[in-house]
Amino acid sequence: MYYGMVAVYYVMIVNILYFTIMILSYRNIGTIYRRSKYSNYNTLSGSELVPPVSLLVPAFNEELTISENVNCLLTLNYPTYEVIVINDGSSDNTVDVLIKEFRLKKMPNPEFRGTIDTQEIRGVYHNPDYPSLFVIDKENGGKADSLNAGINLSHYPLISSIDADSLLEKDALIRMARMYMENPEEMVAIGGDVRIANGCLIENGAVQKVSLPRKIWPMFQSIEYMKAFLGGRIGWSQMNGLIIVSGAFGLFRKDYVIAVGGYRGGYPGEDMNIIIKLHRYMLSHKIPYKVAFCPEAVCWTQAPDTYKIISNQRKRWGRGNLKNMIENRGMLFNPKYKVMGMITMPYNVLFETLNPYFRITGLLALVGYTLLDMTHWRILLTFFLLNFLSGYLLSVGAIVLEEIAFRRYKKLSDLWKMLLFSALKFFGYHQLGVLWRVQGHIQYLQNNNSWGTMTRQSWSEESKTA
Amino acid sequence: MFHLTVAYIFIYVCLGLIALGILLLLQMKISHNRELRNREAYAKKHHDYFVYVQANLQDNVELRLPPGKLKKLEKRVIQDKFIEWIEQFKGDYRLKLIELCREAGFVEEDLKALRSIRYGRRLEAAYRLGGMRAPEAVPLLQNILQKRKYSSLSIVMARSIAKAADNSEDLLQMLRALLSHGKPIHNLAADIMLETGLDSSAILLKLLNDSDSALVKVGLVAMWGQAVPEVMPVLGRLVGAEEKDVRAEAVKLYLTTNPALKDDTIAQLMSDRSWEVRAEAARALGQLHAAGSIPLLTDALRDSSWKVRYNSAESLAELGEAGFEALCQAALTGAGIQREAALHRIELVMEKEREHSAIEQMVAYNKKRLLYDRYFGVKQPAKRVGGVAAVGGDYSA
Amino acid sequence: MPQTVTLQREQTTDVYHHLGERLKETSPDTCGIMFLYSSANPPQLEERVREILQHGSGLDYEVLKDAQTRTLAILLPGLTLDAAHYQALLLKQQLQETVKDADPRITLTVFPGQVEPTPGVLKQMAESTKLSTSSDIHIFTKEEAAEEAGRILIVDNDATVREFLQIRLKMQGYETLAAHDGTSALELIEKWEPDLVLTELNLYGIDGLPFIHQIQQLPVDNTPKIVVLTEQRVEQTISQCFKHGVDDYVTKPFSPVELDARIHRCFH
Repeated sequence: MYYGMVAVYYVMIVNILYFTIMILSYRNIGTIYRRSKYSNYNTLSGSELVPPVSLLVPAFNEELTISENVNCLLTLNYPTYEVIVINDGSSDNTVDVLIKEFRLKKMPNPEFRGTIDTQEIRGVYHNPDYPSLFVIDKENGGKADSLNAGINLSHYPLISSIDADSLLEKDALIRMARMYMENPEEMVAIGGDVRIANGCLIENGAVQKVSLPRKIWPMFQSIEYMKAFLGGRIGWSQMNGLIIVSGAFGLFRKDYVIAVGGYRGGYPGEDMNIIIKLHRYMLSHKIPYKVAFCPEAVCWTQAPDTYKIISNQRKRWGRGNLKNMIENRGMLFNPKYKVMGMITMPYNVLFETLNPYFRITGLLALVGYTLLDMTHWRILLTFFLLNFLSGYLLSVGAIVLEEIAFRRYKKLSDLWKMLLFSALKFFGYHQLGVLWRVQGHIQYLQNNNSWGTMTRQSWSEESKTA
Repeated sequence: MFHLTVAYIFIYVCLGLIALGILLLLQMKISHNRELRNREAYAKKHHDYFVYVQANLQDNVELRLPPGKLKKLEKRVIQDKFIEWIEQFKGDYRLKLIELCREAGFVEEDLKALRSIRYGRRLEAAYRLGGMRAPEAVPLLQNILQKRKYSSLSIVMARSIAKAADNSEDLLQMLRALLSHGKPIHNLAADIMLETGLDSSAILLKLLNDSDSALVKVGLVAMWGQAVPEVMPVLGRLVGAEEKDVRAEAVKLYLTTNPALKDDTIAQLMSDRSWEVRAEAARALGQLHAAGSIPLLTDALRDSSWKVRYNSAESLAELGEAGFEALCQAALTGAGIQREAALHRIELVMEKEREHSAIEQMVAYNKKRLLYDRYFGVKQPAKRVGGVAAVGGDYSA
Repeated sequence: MPQTVTLQREQTTDVYHHLGERLKETSPDTCGIMFLYSSANPPQLEERVREILQHGSGLDYEVLKDAQTRTLAILLPGLTLDAAHYQALLLKQQLQETVKDADPRITLTVFPGQVEPTPGVLKQMAESTKLSTSSDIHIFTKEEAAEEAGRILIVDNDATVREFLQIRLKMQGYETLAAHDGTSALELIEKWEPDLVLTELNLYGIDGLPFIHQIQQLPVDNTPKIVVLTEQRVEQTISQCFKHGVDDYVTKPFSPVELDARIHRCFH
């Protein structure tokens, strides 16, 4: 019986911590709302004074969406930037599609300034009519390896990693740059807000009309992302304890990324890994720094909409998370690493990595006790209610944050839908999430490093169905 | 079952908060949507007036205020439109619209709001007062800027001051307050400063002569991309400045004006401690057609900074056949980074000149082609070694 | 009944002759004139218009009715174009408030101004009022009378800028269309063949140098001139634009007078 009670208390403590983080988000939301409302980007977006950025876009088998995405990236509202697409040895026609669309030619003697080791480069393509576009064609080596190759070619002091299946809002990059310019010395990485594009109307490489996804898998993820980004990351960013900057859209200081040896090859979780390495490097060299989250810089991404793909993605995340935790266990409870070592890492291990085990065993224990002695049904019910209500409260809290500062979903019916699915999430989807994470851990222990299937839909199909 | 009491309380608290949250959400959504609808309706109602203003925004016309008695939100819609125009236009048209805002009482109202106890309201008013270029708001804005902790909102405040200020002293005061937090936000400060409607060359001169090196830096970065003859003497002095950043910026600007350089000045710049200074000097040498500097530039192909190597190679390519020959030689006999930099540039030159058709360029190309063939043989283009350069470099560029 | 038709035609020409005479009397002082038409033709319309004008403090006015086109001609002696425009919007607003389904269409101009007050022109004004599809107050300009002007395509993301440029350029006699993104602009250029494209560099779909390049590649008889009006102030971009054959480059915030001059220069 005691173990069951421990599980009940564990759930309460976890949630009190979640609430604390969310309260930090609430403290900051007013500033976020005002700074985006009262900032005009028109002077900045044409100014010579804004630091130039290299956008790095790793692409693996993206022939369906790549040209639309590159077109979108070429029309950002930003004074000086370049787009570097890195084809990671795709087995489809990703490179040919790009060569045809932008009439690219192979550069005779491209200059790589960086020296991070990567897989062999087959060629670099360019067309003077699109002066800011470069395409690197290289042997397959994973996402991290591609990013490193991009860093080697890049010409500018800031780099931004962008997933090939994401669409940036026109102002997204300049909003991030504004945040960077407000504290250029300390800012080492800034993450953007990732939102689910399924269901939105997409035209001309931009989200024209925002609405919620129609299918249930993307809908659940939509709620999940909102909760994680608005409810969590704003708060973590407040105390400089962000452990991850989304791989889909983040801005980095190139000099520090190179100082920590670039991205790590071979494994999933490279986005979390680079942030942990940056924290580690800055803290052990005692350089004041910030890793920040910029919720007003939005990137729209296509969420997987079938069970198979989403489960693969989540297993990969679970694997990446566990691997990063094990590799960096030295930071755990190490006062040298301040917030990172004393709060973020322990929190992550206890409440993210190990969370499934506590919950599953707790549940099993309670079910067992109840079967033995039916009078314990109240505890079992309490356990369920605790899980459900606190989780639901967090979702509601995140939606309130969204409503205060962003209001992307205009219709009243969208609000009802979000509230409904926030509740439904706890009957099935949530449990699956726990299961996937455990499966990811098992894969890690079995040394399985495959990427799993990840297929894309073309954006035009997406807008047709919308 | 004592232990469960805590859990029960927890559940009740959650329930209460959820109910509260949902109510709040509904209230926010409905009132916000209503406001949007009303704004749209007012914008439609005043459409004719907006067209009237735009059609008659001319020199000799005195514009009238919108007709009828206006509701609060209605006024806001009109004011927002005015501010949007003010941001788009320059000169007399802007002044006319500012005058219109004043006549309509918008300035007065926001000045009142600037004294509100709620920070949110003050900030909103500050933003609009900046938009309406109201100099009378500046003292209060300065006060708020100086009192509050540095954050993104300080930038909003500073921008309003820059827009509204009608004398350079106010601008300098704003910059001082902004930079007093010790953050190296010179680029952002310069961008804010350039929002001013005042004559910027006088302000630049003041900044460059300031005793505070932070302000000098703001002045230097603000000068990117604009030639200001008045400040040249000051710039000449700053080229010898002690502080590395100031010197680098000053050299960069100084060299873009193509001054006549003495040999020892060149040598001194090319051996400066700061790579930025060396890079700028290397770039300038090509544009100055200083053929005497070929040896210096060839040496600079070995510089530890990528940017210096790159600029040196580019400048060599601009220095006629002699420069090109030096490049070829470096590519053939040099090693590592020097060879890399030279090779890359040679490829670019050959690629580019092949496209030209004018006769004189053909001649120049053929001469280079001859040199190229002499160094690398006729058929074999210079091949890169491996995929990625295995040489060091810096990434600060 | 041919007789009635003749009679009416005489009557209508009379209205315009009479108007022309009246306008000559007032010159060289300015005189505003507006034509008002309501398709619903509410019975008390003329009365209401008179009442409203009566209330306008100390306003000198004269209302004539053209029976054939059912338009009201309102003479406003002494008013300049802006003042007449303001009166028109007051009148429209009050009509909309008091008369059900009024939906008034108004065309206005001022004499002496861009056009001569000949009966023909006046009649054209009345007819264009009646045929007007938009409820916006319309200012009658020279090229509508003359029908020869340059065509300008305005391309900008920002609706505020598009609206202003359209109003302003129309009043100067250019024919204008507007596009809100690069892709639709390219389509319009091919279909409509403008003489000049006034464009922002920062657009959806396609923008910047690739956009400029695409315009020049389009299979049209005369490649349009390109004037850039943009926030983009980076020196390198500006010089690259000129290299790619842009005719002029104006940065925002802009002075409309200066922009007029630069556009004018492109046409001559």
